Amino acid sequence: MIRGAVQPDAAGWASQARALFLKDVRAELRTRVALSSVGLFTFAALLLIALATRVLKETLTVDLARLPEAVTSEQIRAHMLPAWDDPGKMGLLWVLLIFSAFAGLAHSFVHEEEAGTTLALRLSMAPGAVYAGKLCFNLAVVLCVAAIATPAYVLITGLHTGPIAEFLVLMIAGCLGLGAVATIVAALAAKARGTGGLFGALGLPLLIVFELMLLNAANTLYGGDVTPLQSIKDFGGLISYSVLLIAVSAVTFHFVWEE
Amino acid sequence: MSKQVEIASILPRESAAVSAWDLFVQLDRITHRFGSRTVFEGVTEAAQEGEILVVSGANGSGKSTLLRIIAGLLTPTSGRAIVSAAGTELNGAQRRRLIGYVAPDLVLYRELTGAENLQFFAELHGVRADRAMLVDLLTRVGLRGRGRDAVGGYSSGMRQRLKYAFALLHDPPILLLDEPTANLDTNGVAIVEEIVKAQQMRPGGGLTIVATNEPRELEWSARRVHLGPGA
Repeated sequence: MIRGAVQPDAAGWASQARALFLKDVRAELRTRVALSSVGLFTFAALLLIALATRVLKETLTVDLARLPEAVTSEQIRAHMLPAWDDPGKMGLLWVLLIFSAFAGLAHSFVHEEEAGTTLALRLSMAPGAVYAGKLCFNLAVVLCVAAIATPAYVLITGLHTGPIAEFLVLMIAGCLGLGAVATIVAALAAKARGTGGLFGALGLPLLIVFELMLLNAANTLYGGDVTPLQSIKDFGGLISYSVLLIAVSAVTFHFVWEE
Repeated sequence: MSKQVEIASILPRESAAVSAWDLFVQLDRITHRFGSRTVFEGVTEAAQEGEILVVSGANGSGKSTLLRIIAGLLTPTSGRAIVSAAGTELNGAQRRRLIGYVAPDLVLYRELTGAENLQFFAELHGVRADRAMLVDLLTRVGLRGRGRDAVGGYSSGMRQRLKYAFALLHDPPILLLDEPTANLDTNGVAIVEEIVKAQQMRPGGGLTIVATNEPRELEWSARRVHLGPGA
């Protein structure tokens, strides 16, 4: 008889999720499948942005519609604005983060499905715990990418972060939403034996809503005359969407997971 | 730990006083289709603890599918596979705790070592997997000394042995074995036969369901379900 019989309090949902998260971290550190694809994409994108925006970030522009008929050079100078403003820079930062994250997160479920290890997981753990473990791993990846890429991006582009507390809330809430979208979409794609194309198609509706929420919250940072109530509404909308998506995904995940 | 306590943790409170697993698997008019193709139709059979049920049939007759249905991994198109202990039908979570499963399409993590795989799955099952336990388990399946090697470097026979360690981790009273001796050498086949014998003799009774076409394995039991033409 083998020692170590089933304990009366067999592994609960949380400890199963924790074990899966730690297993994914260990496997990732060993194979570096997600790390290499995310790292390569992020580095290449930052390099391109640095080279392409060297001139753009110093460039000023003027809105001709705002100028009087007869105009002097002083009047033109007075109406000059940066050609590449902070909302635009913020938008490009999230383009970078979304694509970097998706480049790595596609591996989370697709890798399990392709390697054939989902059967062993299905024999050993509750569907909700699988979702929670994968979500934690994906959030960790997104947060790591954001923590490394954002400071580099701010240095390269000269992005003004606005109030630092609000900027941090935006980044963390954005990462939460991005992790939530990517996790459920990766699960759907893996189940459909998906490729990158399918991954994108399945994720589009969820991602569009996330992006709209993110855009609203990002505009709050640079809006100028935004009221505190509007700020709370915009940040709250982003966080609520992320939490709602996680809750709905957790409840419905077994339909995706089970055959 | 007494059997009563183990059952108490798995079954509803009113069933906790029973003294044995009282295992029962009933296949009740099970039909399964993949699209328009009927794999098998109206399969009816029953098995109880201490028994071995052999499922046979030609390639593609649905042996593996039937085992997946019994394990709760697949829902049949019609009919039911009832797995019960102490008169109570087991739900998905309870089946996970009482069933050990070995099959050709079961794959463990190639990037982890054998011991790391077992530790991970032990944690999922709530089993305390200390070093002594892992050594016991690896020795039992003939992999002593290979626990620290990455599974990616294992031969197909060693991977099959590791699948048995995976299936036995949580000491399940029900074993579902699909092509149980595939890729195994003579020594490996003897180990599997020993495991099946021990399962049959275990206190409280174990139940084994085997999907095979190997003449030697067909002899393990007279209790059989044949799938496909002539079923």
